[in-house]
Amino acid sequence: MSDQFPEQFVRWDTFSSALWYRSKGGRYRLEGTRCTACGEKFFPPRTGLICPACHARAMEPYQCAQAGEVVTVALDDVGFPAVGYGDALPRVQAIIRLDDGIHLMVDLLQVEDPAEVQPGTRVKMVLRKHKREDTGAWVYGFGFVPER
Amino acid sequence: MGKINRRVMMVGGAITPPNIPMDWSWRQMAAEVFWNALQSAGIAVKDVDLVAANYNDRAIADSSPGPQIADALGILPKPVIPIANACAGNGIASYAAWNAIASGRCDVVVSLGFARSDNYDAMEAMNTQGNYVDYDYMLGMTHINYGSMRDSYYRRKYNVPLAAAGTWAYECNWYARRNPLAANYSKPMPVLEELCADTPDAERDRQATNRGGVASAMVFAGEDIARRYTDQPVFFDVAYAFRPPYIGNFFHYPVEGMKEYDLAELPGLMTAAREAYEFAGIRREDVNLVQVHDLTAYEGMMAIEALGVCEVGHGKEYVLSGGMTLDSNCPINTYGGGPAFGHGSAGSDFQAGVLENFWQIRGQAGERQVKDARVGVNTSYGTHHSLDVVGVVQKGW
Repeated sequence: MSDQFPEQFVRWDTFSSALWYRSKGGRYRLEGTRCTACGEKFFPPRTGLICPACHARAMEPYQCAQAGEVVTVALDDVGFPAVGYGDALPRVQAIIRLDDGIHLMVDLLQVEDPAEVQPGTRVKMVLRKHKREDTGAWVYGFGFVPER
Repeated sequence: MGKINRRVMMVGGAITPPNIPMDWSWRQMAAEVFWNALQSAGIAVKDVDLVAANYNDRAIADSSPGPQIADALGILPKPVIPIANACAGNGIASYAAWNAIASGRCDVVVSLGFARSDNYDAMEAMNTQGNYVDYDYMLGMTHINYGSMRDSYYRRKYNVPLAAAGTWAYECNWYARRNPLAANYSKPMPVLEELCADTPDAERDRQATNRGGVASAMVFAGEDIARRYTDQPVFFDVAYAFRPPYIGNFFHYPVEGMKEYDLAELPGLMTAAREAYEFAGIRREDVNLVQVHDLTAYEGMMAIEALGVCEVGHGKEYVLSGGMTLDSNCPINTYGGGPAFGHGSAGSDFQAGVLENFWQIRGQAGERQVKDARVGVNTSYGTHHSLDVVGVVQKGW
């Protein structure tokens, strides 16, 4: 069965051209926002939103740091097969703290076992192919690899 | 705070048993618990002023569920407030019910919830307008991943042993064998040592079991008219709070009450508990019965810490010292919890705790009855604790 039908019968896609366009700065370059009134930095970006710290509505683009350290690690062996991530298991995922203090949840690439990385392990951002949509388009986005 | 005109009483409730037939639609499930809850309180359908209903079925989320629900329940043209906010949405429905009664606008309100997820893969509902921010969804990260990350971090930060998690799951299963409504009621009792093992099977058993399709309903009335329906009413109060939806922001969100904590604590639940306790006029020392919504044993411990049952980071000691048992000053999860009562999402994750405390306070809990139960608290959360709800029921007159 699986040899004849390697692709899942039912799969929902994340593809939306408008959504992809709007999110490309964050997904490709870790572009967040900073409040010009109080200086608070945010990722995901809060473009056009109200600052929860000072309640100003004055966000500007902010380039997040592209390196940091691991806070905690977990193994994903369940995945999200409904949107096409079932083929990439298991995935090593981590919370990382960027050098500017922003925290992200990311895929840790070039790591097969969570035990290979400990809190404090230095990591840096890479741009990677995540998966192919039913439309044929590739999802590109950020991932992180250990600094070796 | 505005002016509160009267207290809110809970006078009845119902929940579907496990293994609802697959040919039952969500409408049939909703009607079943609505009818049974009203029957339990001796209230006629015509006397219901309002229904607040939450659901977790993508099939109706894009439509207009209010009139569909009102029609199914036979209450047209009376209003339904439709709510969709993940598993703890019934906490918000109950909040709406509470407000309608406390203000004096309505006398009798039913808070209802249902989930027919075994007929529909609700993953599609978890899009960027729902559970996830754009980046999680597009990069394939889910609240299941969030849960694994949270457990991993909590265990490390507070040095929580597997024995504490295994004991949590064991106690939940002990109660479930004494609760016919629990998913694990008729299953063999697990062995404590096996639950505490460092194996994939044990890890699975320390997490919630799926309850499948489920619905439940709770009936509330103004204090001044509750005497018409029961001589055993209980007071009901509820509060909820949000936390940022992106997991990275759990480590730093520039708002008082949030920025002091990280992924290993539940400040939203702390906020909701403070407000609920204030409205209920109780102190945390008054609580002698707690039910929490725990998809894993670790987050169960996090929840009792946030409620003030024990200090933050000390849930493990509370569990290992017998704090969950009937002999404790404050037993935990007498309904069976996530590991053994089962996860029912919008259909039961908030309501199951309220109903258990309601029945406990009325002395109707059978073999799992807590002696002198007077004040019961329950929690529920939606999607990785971006929503946390606390309910309080306490003995009336």
